[in-house]
Amino acid sequence: MTAARSVLTGLLHYWPLALIVVLWDLWVVVNGYTETVAPRPWAVFADVGANVGEYVPDLAYTLVMSLAGLGLGTLAALIAGIGVWRSAAISGVVTPAALVLRSVPVTAMIPVIARLLGYNDSTVLAITAIICFFPVFVFTVSGLASASQSGRDLFAVLGASTATTLRRLHLLTAVPSIMVAIRITAPTAVLAAMLAEFLIGAHGLGHLFSTARSYMEMDRAWGTAVVATALSVLTFVGARALERAVVARVT
Amino acid sequence: MTSTAVRSPQRLPIDRPAPVTGSGIALRGVSKEYPLKRKTSLRALDGLDLEVAPGEFVALLGPSGCGKSTVLRLVAGLEEASAGAVDVEGRPPAQLAREHRLGVAFQEHALLPWASIRSNVALPFQVAGRPVDDRRVDDLLRLVGLGGFENARPKQLSGGMRQRAAIARALALDPDVLLLDEPFGALDAVTRRRMNAELARIWSEQQITTLLVTHDVDEAVLLADRIVVMTGRPGRVRYTCTVDIPRPRGADVTRTPEFHGLVDTLTAMLDSADETA
Repeated sequence: MTAARSVLTGLLHYWPLALIVVLWDLWVVVNGYTETVAPRPWAVFADVGANVGEYVPDLAYTLVMSLAGLGLGTLAALIAGIGVWRSAAISGVVTPAALVLRSVPVTAMIPVIARLLGYNDSTVLAITAIICFFPVFVFTVSGLASASQSGRDLFAVLGASTATTLRRLHLLTAVPSIMVAIRITAPTAVLAAMLAEFLIGAHGLGHLFSTARSYMEMDRAWGTAVVATALSVLTFVGARALERAVVARVT
Repeated sequence: MTSTAVRSPQRLPIDRPAPVTGSGIALRGVSKEYPLKRKTSLRALDGLDLEVAPGEFVALLGPSGCGKSTVLRLVAGLEEASAGAVDVEGRPPAQLAREHRLGVAFQEHALLPWASIRSNVALPFQVAGRPVDDRRVDDLLRLVGLGGFENARPKQLSGGMRQRAAIARALALDPDVLLLDEPFGALDAVTRRRMNAELARIWSEQQITTLLVTHDVDEAVLLADRIVVMTGRPGRVRYTCTVDIPRPRGADVTRTPEFHGLVDTLTAMLDSADETA
């Protein structure tokens, strides 16, 4: 009874999704668009439902690329963040580089990186990692700096080395910030992976979308968009659950 | 012990000569200035002299903002004096911390929120790169009355329990010098009194060179061998007296006229110190 109720309440939180579907349908019907311009949601859902096997491999590929890219970007950001925390000289090199990396539009970067790494998985991975790097980097730097004065004093009077203080105080203090960064970056990782797939890839939802569009399979193209949206939302929800669990552990 | 329980001061202020020591804690002519904006600075301490003999328990009393905590931070090696010398065992204070022989309990307990109480008390071992002495940790937890709470996290404990855990942590490595910065400041009067009794018991078991910073006169009289009263900012030593009340100083001591006499004198001293601030 209560379980059913909580499920219902949970579903109610997703009313914007239902609204989007209804507005989408209205928009198509009211404007009298043909299927080639914009299919109705029901046709799209039908295509996804009837061809799950067509979607799953590309979905899995994009998911793996997103997660691996997020992992790589996070790892690089942690290393850079620790460097910046540790030394002003490293900070002077890394921080402007990170800002430049952030300022260059990713679409401009993709051809260059594809030239360097080849038109293959590693480019997709690299693009995703680069997109994920900046937010995690910024949150890591601020998280490392957020250790309380009393905590720093404690480690000082205990005679702790810099490495010990980093490991036992600053890194653990930074965990909540890093988890926030991962939560807000996770959907972006999906977006980045898809963009790279769309432009250069041979697999993944981005590639599926670009192929479907070239063959004017609008149900399939829109179906890919729906699946990608679902994947994006799911990574966000997953990252949020992870964040809650981890933050409860360290605070 | 002598029958004279309290040496009550007649003339004020009297600077008693500090015990002659080769080691212990020594501050000589220490001044500390904090730079503020535009070339101005705040003088927290001005020509302060203070000695703590080995194995002695000294309480540093003073109005709030008089620089008591600054003295403690100087002795802990967390800050450098602007002028004068701070020595612990005849060497710079940071040396003692580096050798993991310093125990400090701060105003804020500074327990690590992600670690259990047991891990928090074991932290000094890990930081020093020594194997954790589980028996020692257990003994300490029992000593401060936290047996059975080993696996609790700090947020699950009351304020008093957290402070006790912090004191257990300060004692973990058998420090040669113990620094206490109003460790019971945030506690209610009853818990505070109980904590004082526990600290006195712990200290009587192993007489560590101890410097306690407090603004609570009762606490100072209950715990210390010697009490040093500071003036308002900039902090100087205003008055020093020895507490001759025999140990253990239980609850009955707080009802004796000697205790009250000393508390009244010191309270009056703090009042006038406040006025000069």
